[in-house]
Amino acid sequence: MTTTTSMTPPSSPPDTTVKKPGRMRRPKSARAGGQMHAGPIAYVILALFTIGSLFPLVWTAIAASRDNNRLAQTPPPFWFGGNLLDNLDIAWNDANLGEAFFNTTIVAGTSAATVVFLSTIAGFAFAKLKFRGRGAMMLIVIGTMMVPPQLSVIPLYMMVAKLEWTDQLQAVILPSLVSAFGVFFMRQYLIQALPDEIIEAARVDGASSWRVVWHVVFPAARPAMAVLGMLMFVQTWNDFLWPFLVLSQTGNPTVQVAVAGLGRGYTPDQSLIMAGALLGTLPLLLVFAIFGKQIVGGIMQGAVKG
Amino acid sequence: MATHDTAAPPAKEGGAAPGRPPAGPTGAERRRARLSRRWQRDMRWSPYAFVSPFFLLFLAFGLFPLIYTGWASLHQVEMTAPTDMHWVGLRNYTRIFDDDFFWNAAKNTLTIGIISTVPQLLMAMGLAHILNYKLRASTFYRVAMLAPYATSIAAASLVFVLLFGRDYGMINWALDFVGIGPIDWQSDKWPSQIAVSTIVIWRWTGYNALIYLAAMQAIPQDLYESAALDGASRWKQFIHVTLPSLRPTILFTVVVSTIGATQVFGEPLLFDANKGASGGSEHQFQTLGLYLYEQGWVNQHLGRASAIAWTMFLILIVVGIVNYVISRRLRASS
Amino acid sequence: MRARTRTSRRVVVLATVATMGTGLLAGCADDGGDKASDGSSSGGGKGKTTITMGLFGTMGFKEAGLYAEYEKLNPNIKIAENVIERNENYYPALVNHLTTNSGLQDVQAVEVANIAEVVATQGAKLQDLSKVSGVEKGNWLDWKWSQATTKDSKTVGLGTDVGPMALCYRTDLFQQAGLPTDPAEVGKLWAGDWNKFISVGEQYKKKAPKGTFFMDSPGGLLNAVLSSEKEKFYDSSGEVIYKSNPAVKAAFDLTAKAAEQGLVQAQTQFQPAWDTTIANSKFATVACPPWMLGTLKGKSKPESLGKWAVAVAPKSGNWGGSFLAVPSSGKNVKEAEKLVAWLTAPEQQAKLFKVQGSFPSTPSAYTMPEVTGAKNEMTGDLNIGTIFAEAAKAAPVQVIGPKDQIIQQGLTDNGVILVTKGKSPEEAWKTATKTIDNNLDK
Repeated sequence: MTTTTSMTPPSSPPDTTVKKPGRMRRPKSARAGGQMHAGPIAYVILALFTIGSLFPLVWTAIAASRDNNRLAQTPPPFWFGGNLLDNLDIAWNDANLGEAFFNTTIVAGTSAATVVFLSTIAGFAFAKLKFRGRGAMMLIVIGTMMVPPQLSVIPLYMMVAKLEWTDQLQAVILPSLVSAFGVFFMRQYLIQALPDEIIEAARVDGASSWRVVWHVVFPAARPAMAVLGMLMFVQTWNDFLWPFLVLSQTGNPTVQVAVAGLGRGYTPDQSLIMAGALLGTLPLLLVFAIFGKQIVGGIMQGAVKG
Repeated sequence: MATHDTAAPPAKEGGAAPGRPPAGPTGAERRRARLSRRWQRDMRWSPYAFVSPFFLLFLAFGLFPLIYTGWASLHQVEMTAPTDMHWVGLRNYTRIFDDDFFWNAAKNTLTIGIISTVPQLLMAMGLAHILNYKLRASTFYRVAMLAPYATSIAAASLVFVLLFGRDYGMINWALDFVGIGPIDWQSDKWPSQIAVSTIVIWRWTGYNALIYLAAMQAIPQDLYESAALDGASRWKQFIHVTLPSLRPTILFTVVVSTIGATQVFGEPLLFDANKGASGGSEHQFQTLGLYLYEQGWVNQHLGRASAIAWTMFLILIVVGIVNYVISRRLRASS
Repeated sequence: MRARTRTSRRVVVLATVATMGTGLLAGCADDGGDKASDGSSSGGGKGKTTITMGLFGTMGFKEAGLYAEYEKLNPNIKIAENVIERNENYYPALVNHLTTNSGLQDVQAVEVANIAEVVATQGAKLQDLSKVSGVEKGNWLDWKWSQATTKDSKTVGLGTDVGPMALCYRTDLFQQAGLPTDPAEVGKLWAGDWNKFISVGEQYKKKAPKGTFFMDSPGGLLNAVLSSEKEKFYDSSGEVIYKSNPAVKAAFDLTAKAAEQGLVQAQTQFQPAWDTTIANSKFATVACPPWMLGTLKGKSKPESLGKWAVAVAPKSGNWGGSFLAVPSSGKNVKEAEKLVAWLTAPEQQAKLFKVQGSFPSTPSAYTMPEVTGAKNEMTGDLNIGTIFAEAAKAAPVQVIGPKDQIIQQGLTDNGVILVTKGKSPEEAWKTATKTIDNNLDK
C-alpha cells in the first residue's frame, strides 16, 4: 500500500490509466453500485455535460486568442485566433505573474494546510469527544458559517491597518484560517468514518488524546483532509475582495490582485482581460488535469457520506 | 510531535522515576494512579485544546468584525469616516421593514437560491447515477465536470456575460436555431435570474455529483440484490434503496448549498458590472449579499449595511432552526 | 494495515512540514518585501527612491513613456505603478486606505466623479499641492483647479486630463439620411439647444439606414445634456437638489422623449452588447470626449476608419478626467509631489494626449503642436484638437457634489434605460428617484 506514489503516472492520458490496472486502491468502487454497463443514452448525457462544463473554459481561451476588435463583432468567434501567445505574454509580464504565482501558492498552501490541520482536530473533538459546552460551541461554529463575509472586510481592514500588515502575506493568510466550514466538514466526516471502537481500543492501550489524534484520527481522516485541503486551496487561490484590499501590485500581490489591472485603458481590452483570467485559472486547471484521478479519488473517499 | 508527547512525561516527573524499578507492586500502583490521574486530566481538557485554535483565531479575526458591525448597525456611520459614529438606536433595523429594496433582494435571493440549488442538486444526482455505471473513460468525465469548480467567480462571470449577450451572445444564437427569439438575459427578470443561477450551477454541479457518487458507491450491493429479488425495477431501486441511503449526504449538500445561496453576491455583481451593484435596472437580480455590498461599498453607508448583514444573519438562523425542527419531526415520524 | 498507517503518517508529517515550511517561506517573502521597500524609501541600497503610483485603468502615464522620461531626468528615482482596471474597484479601496492611513501608494489618482467626496472628507490626509514649486494655479482651467480645492483653499489634487465633450457622428450614415456631413454645418444644425439635436434625430429617423439608431444610448444622451449645465445635482451650498432642479428633470424628459421615439438604442454604455453595436455600425452619433475616439477605434471593424467626424455639441460640457493626489502619510512625500507636478505640467499633458487621447487640463497645452495638429484614424483628415480645445474652454464651471456618481447612475441605469424597454417616462422617473433616495439616505 505504499502505492500512493507509485500509482501516479501523472501525465499519461486518462484512457490508458483507466482501463485495467486501476482499482487496486479500493476494491469497493468495483464492487459498489455500478455493475451494469452504461447504455448509449448515458454516454450522450455525459457528453453533453462534459461539453457544458468545458465549453466556457475553452471559450475563455478562444477569447484570449483574439483581439478587442474581433470580440466586439458578430457572430462571436468560435475558433482560436492567432493572438493567444501574445496576449498571454503581455498578461504575464504586465501583471508580473511570476511573483504573483509564488505568493498565491504560499498563501493558498499555508492556509489550506493550516485549516486542514486545525479543522481536523476541532472536528474530531466535536465528533467524538464529550465535553461541556460542546453543543453550544458547535452552534457558534455553524453560526459563523452564516455570517455574510462582505461586511467583515471593513473592520478587519481596520485591524490589519493597526497591525501594519498591509502589503504583507499574513494579512491574507491569517484571516483565511477561520474556517467554520472546515470544522463542520471534518466533524461530519469523522462522525461516520471513525468508529468509536477504534478510539476506545486506543484508549484502553493507554494512548493519550494526542496519540489518538496522531495514530487514529489522522489516518482515518486522510481522504477528507485531502478534499478539504483542495477546497481551501482553490477558494484562497481565487479570493479577490480581501487580498485586493490588503495587498497591491507593488506589495506582494496574489494572482487575482495582479491581474486586476489588465486590459486597462479607455477601451478595456477584453482579450487581455480574458488572457489574465485564463492565466489565473490555468495553474489550478493544470493541477486538476494532471492529478485529476487523485483529486477525484480523494473527493470520492473524502466526501461526507453521512 | 507524537514522540515528544510520550517522551516528555517521564522526564518531567523524573524525580520519582529512578526509584521506580525496585519499588515493587506498590510503586506500580502508584504509577498507575498517577497515570490515570493524568489520563483523566487529558480526557477532560484535551477536547478544549483541540477546539481552541479555531476559537482563538475566531476571536482574533472573526469576533471583532462581528461585534464592530453589530455596534455599527446601531449608528449612522459612513465608510469615509468609519470611526465617526452617530447613535441612532434601532433605526437601521426598523427601516428595513419599509425598505422595498431589501425585501425585493430577499425575494430574489430566495428565487435565485431555488433556481440555482434545486436543478443543481437534481442534476448532480442524475449525473452521479450515470457515473455509477461501468463507463469507459470515467475519470475523464469526472475531472471534466470538476473543472468549472477551479474557475474563479470573476473569470466565470466574465465568460457568461459574453455568452448570455442579448444580440450576439452564443446562447441566443443557439436558441435561434430552435426558433426561440432573442432573450434579453440582462434586463428581463426571470431570464436574468436564470442566467445568474446558471453561473452558480455551472461551478458546483460536478462537485456535488462526485459527492453523491461517492455516497452511492458506499451503499452495500446486497441491498440492491435483495431489492432486485423482490422484483423492484431499476427506478424503484433508485427510490427505495439509493435515495434513503443518501439522505445524510443530501442533507449536507442542501445545508451547504443553502448557506452558499443566501450569500450569493459575486455572480450577480459581475453579471452586470457596468450598472454598479444594483443588480439590474429594476434590481431584478439583486440579492441580499449584493444589496449589502451596494449599501456598504458603493453607497458607503456602513451602519445600514451592517444592519442588513445582521438581519440576514438572523433570518438564516431562524431558517436554520425551522429546518432543524422540521427535519427532527420528520425523523421522529418516520 | 500497518503499512497503510505508515504511509498516512508520512503524508501527515509531510503536510505538517509543508505547513511550517510554507509558513517560513511566507515569512521570508514578507521580509524580502519589507527590505525592498525599506531600501527604496530610505534611499539605501542602490541609492534609488521608488515612488509608487496608485492608478485606475485610464491614466496611461507608463504607456506614454512619461515614467521612463522622468527616471532619465532624475536618475535616483524609480517609478512603480499599481493599476486597477476599474474605478469601481479602485475607489472604495482608496477610501478605506485613506481612512486608516495604511496601504496607500505615494501618489493616488482620483476620478472626477469622486473628487468632490475626497475633497470634502479626506482633505486633511492629503498634501496641499498648490505650494509645490512649479505648480501655478493659472496653468489649469479654472473649474478643474477649483474642483480639487477644499473650502479652506487647500488644493489636494492636480488635474491630469479633462473630457471636453463634442459630438461624434458617422458621415456615411448622415449622408444616407440626407443630412449634411461637414462638421461646421452639422454643428449649426443643433447649435445652442439640445432640443434641436433631438429634431435632427427625428429628421435622421425618417430616412435612416435600416437597423440604425440616431444615438448610441439613453445614458450617453442624458450625461451629455447634464454635463453642459452649471448646476445639476447639488447647489453651490452643497445641498442635494437633483429632484427639484428643473434642468435635471428637463434633461431626463428630453432623453425619455428620445427613447420613446426610438432615437436611442436600448443599450448601456461600455457593456459588451454596446461594444458590438459600434462594431456593427448601428448608431450615427455619440457624445464624444477625445478618449471616446479611442473607444470607437478599439471596438470598430477596420472599414469604419475615417468614417467618423466631430462637431461641436449643442452646449459644451465635460465628461471625465482625473486628478493626482499625494497622501501625507506616504514615505516619499516630497519626491511624490515633485513627480506629480511634473506629470501634470502642460508639456507632459500634451504628450499624454498624443499617445492616450487624454485631453490636457492646462490651456497652454492647447497651442502646442501635439494638440493643434492632432488627427485621429477614426476621423481621417479632420483637425480635432481645436474643436476639443474650444469645448474645454466653453465648458461651464459646474457645481459638483460627493454623490454625483450615484445620482447619475440612478437616473441612467434605473431611469432612462427603462423607457427604451417600454416603461413610461413617469414610471422611469419614479424608479430612478426611489433608487437614488434610498442610496443617498445614510
